[in-house]
Amino acid sequence: MRFFLNGRPIDFDGDPQTPLLWVIRDFAELTGTKYGCGVALCGACTVHVDGEPTRCCVLPVESITGRQITTIEGLSKDRSHPVQKAWIEKDVPQCGYCQSGMIMAAAALLKQHPKPTDAQIDDAMTNLCRCATYHRIREAIHAAANG
Amino acid sequence: MRQPTGDISERSAAAHGTAAHGATSRRGFLKGAAIAAGALLVPVSLARDVLAAEETSYEITDWIRLEPNGRTIIGLSQCEVGQGVYTGLPQVVADELEADWATVSVSFVTGRDAYRISAANEETQQFVGASMSVTQFHQRLRIAGAQAREALVQAAAARFKVRATQCEARAGRVIHLPTGRSIAYGALAADAAKLPLNPNPQLKAQSERRLIGQNLKRLDTPAKVDGSAIFGIDVRVSDMLFGAVRMAPTQTGKVIAVRNEAEILARPGVKAVVTAPFWPLPAPTTVIVVADSYWTAKRAADALVVEWDAGIAATLDSGKIMEQRLAALDTDKAVVATQIGEAEAMLAAAGSKMIEARYHTPYLVHATMEPVVATAHVRDGEIEVWGPIQGQDMVRKTLGKHFNMAPEKVIVHTTFLGGSFGRKYVPDFVLHAAVASNAVGRPVKVIRSREDDIRHGYYRPCASARFRATLGDDGYPTALHARVVGESLYAMIKPKAMEAAGGWDETMLDAIYNLAYAVPNLTVDNVNVKQPIPVSFMRSVGSTSAVFFLESFVNELADAANVDPYLYRRHMLAQDPRALAVLDRVVDGSGWRKPAPAGIHRGLAFNLYTGRGGAFKTYVAQVAEVELVKGRIAVRRVFCAVDTGNVINPGLVKANIEGGIGFALTNTLKSEVTFANGGAEQSNFHDYPLLSLAEMPRIEVALLDSDRPPQGCGEVALAPVAPAVAHAVYRATKVRLRAMPFSQGLT
Repeated sequence: MRFFLNGRPIDFDGDPQTPLLWVIRDFAELTGTKYGCGVALCGACTVHVDGEPTRCCVLPVESITGRQITTIEGLSKDRSHPVQKAWIEKDVPQCGYCQSGMIMAAAALLKQHPKPTDAQIDDAMTNLCRCATYHRIREAIHAAANG
Repeated sequence: MRQPTGDISERSAAAHGTAAHGATSRRGFLKGAAIAAGALLVPVSLARDVLAAEETSYEITDWIRLEPNGRTIIGLSQCEVGQGVYTGLPQVVADELEADWATVSVSFVTGRDAYRISAANEETQQFVGASMSVTQFHQRLRIAGAQAREALVQAAAARFKVRATQCEARAGRVIHLPTGRSIAYGALAADAAKLPLNPNPQLKAQSERRLIGQNLKRLDTPAKVDGSAIFGIDVRVSDMLFGAVRMAPTQTGKVIAVRNEAEILARPGVKAVVTAPFWPLPAPTTVIVVADSYWTAKRAADALVVEWDAGIAATLDSGKIMEQRLAALDTDKAVVATQIGEAEAMLAAAGSKMIEARYHTPYLVHATMEPVVATAHVRDGEIEVWGPIQGQDMVRKTLGKHFNMAPEKVIVHTTFLGGSFGRKYVPDFVLHAAVASNAVGRPVKVIRSREDDIRHGYYRPCASARFRATLGDDGYPTALHARVVGESLYAMIKPKAMEAAGGWDETMLDAIYNLAYAVPNLTVDNVNVKQPIPVSFMRSVGSTSAVFFLESFVNELADAANVDPYLYRRHMLAQDPRALAVLDRVVDGSGWRKPAPAGIHRGLAFNLYTGRGGAFKTYVAQVAEVELVKGRIAVRRVFCAVDTGNVINPGLVKANIEGGIGFALTNTLKSEVTFANGGAEQSNFHDYPLLSLAEMPRIEVALLDSDRPPQGCGEVALAPVAPAVAHAVYRATKVRLRAMPFSQGLT
């Protein structure tokens, strides 16, 4: 199975049912994408599949053959994506574990709604953060939109 | 506070090590020190760009290494769980060192006495807990920074051939004041490393501080927005295998046999099937499948057919536990913690004038976003571990005991922690990785599934309370009897100390045994309702129950007296100006005296958070604004006033307060672990839900100016949340919410 990870072709010959998360983490060795729940509830594993925000802990790798996957490592080369810049500006992360998924979800939201309302942020940002950095996430999304 | 100078003077005598990553310690080298296992280990918690630049460095103190190229490496002994020590503690060192903050990078350090602390006369150890990182290390780090600064000034004076008094350190350079000549710290590092340290260095005056008090940005943020921060789950070492666990369905279950072991071992990629204990009990409770990938191991673990002995907890049931708690509320065998005057006799005589209320809180689980995970390599005579570790010496002690090795033979690498809240102090997950590695002779990373992380936690204990009071003619309590019952944390964690203290548990009676309010007749007692459920510390520990009980009851008394709850507290705290100041601030900041916006209802609560063993005093007052949307509680705004002493970094303190309030709202509105048929009934975020972004209120934090040394701040914001929300709901509906979570009470 071949897919494209941050533009690079990946040929995976293991169990085709392996969730994309573990192929990214253990086979392609990009560990920015996290395991949190294994059932697509928490969003720590959010990546973009052909630009769409997707929770990849339940996504069999065989289902993404030929598709373009973007992870946090591929969002920008130098933390220059507007969302990353806003995250740094607002000092959003605490423990930081959920933040790759949060940033990927926020980047997708801003692509769909360049100036999102609070209600649109509420609807799109359903990832979980145990440190409860939520209100800074909201502020940072607005800052990125207005940046 | 422990004096740090003892640790530092020990340094010169101890065989302390060169850095294991090859950055030669000049000081250590000159003293002929052996490479000590566990000293200044590879800082896997560093961002990669920092790691890549490793080169020769010179150790000036236990906390400071300088590179000739100008980089300032500051040691961090306290793990970064999100609380901000990665920035706040180096900020203290750098301020006294007079370092150029732009040159600072942080390296996790371990294995020396300088890095060890003690909570409430407990064993001295390296760990994070009890909101003590700043209170215990603040002075120690200031001294280290000042010692290094003085050594650098001396080295510069020798180089200039002038008196040291003519030289001044400023932002990473030493300047010869009469001539204006200057030398960078990096160029002085080799010389400074050879100089003896002044045991009593001159600390800066408050007016000379350049970094302490500044809202510096977090140093760990860049690595946390580009995916490069290494958490426990991200560790990769050469030749590593992966482990997945299958744990007993009941709390005390044991493995009798794996029925299909041969079939599992025959699966491609599977290397071993190993049984392991669940710390601290020795019995095998867990089966670990080791394989060449995590997914292979996980699928095999799910396919295991295990015969379990249900163990002594087979009939464990939350309904029965509640019956036991209710019985304990009215027992005559409670252990008295505080007795002032004749409260019980006065209450017995009060008849129908006695006010009584009963409250309940459930078991909770930490549910860190990163489940517990560790990597271990057990070799001949030593063990190396990597992971999100909150108690480095706890891991050394536990593995040393299990594998019959000296604790210093256990090499501990600490990564960033993907949340902990107390959970990753418990060494069970590191033991799992070590047992798996020992079985296969290779490094193994064992990842606990979310399901087993929740079903086999070390839970925040449940509690119930009975509060009784009589009020005088002025409406204020003349007698108060507070009783809290539940599974005692200290009875499990430190039974001897609890017995020595008379058999009561400080955590169960937090803020009650040492009541801040003036009440002339006071009895405080507790009952340990023993259960076979593992319990441990969880952020804010007992206060998340005890302060809910206490502050809810104070609000009920204020209502009975028909006095504003702010003025009611003010009256009973009149002897403590700091308490009054936070109350006044929260009232001013929240607009308490003005009418609330339409549909909004306000509640207020206070907490004097004193830390474990009364280690510090942080004052907190909160006003919660609540709206009821179709009977559902929506918290719209929380205003929090805090006096946490002198603030090192206001942004970090505010982040702790904001996050603490969000964490507490999850507890208040949603969380409950229940038990049936011996096991926990919850298993993932569908039945143990967390607060969502949409539910997060607006939070405003006011930090009060203070001339006190820094006090604890990581845990202080949680406890007032539930009573403030409960009182807001009461004022809206006249319904008293006396049991958490409140999702149980408003339908």
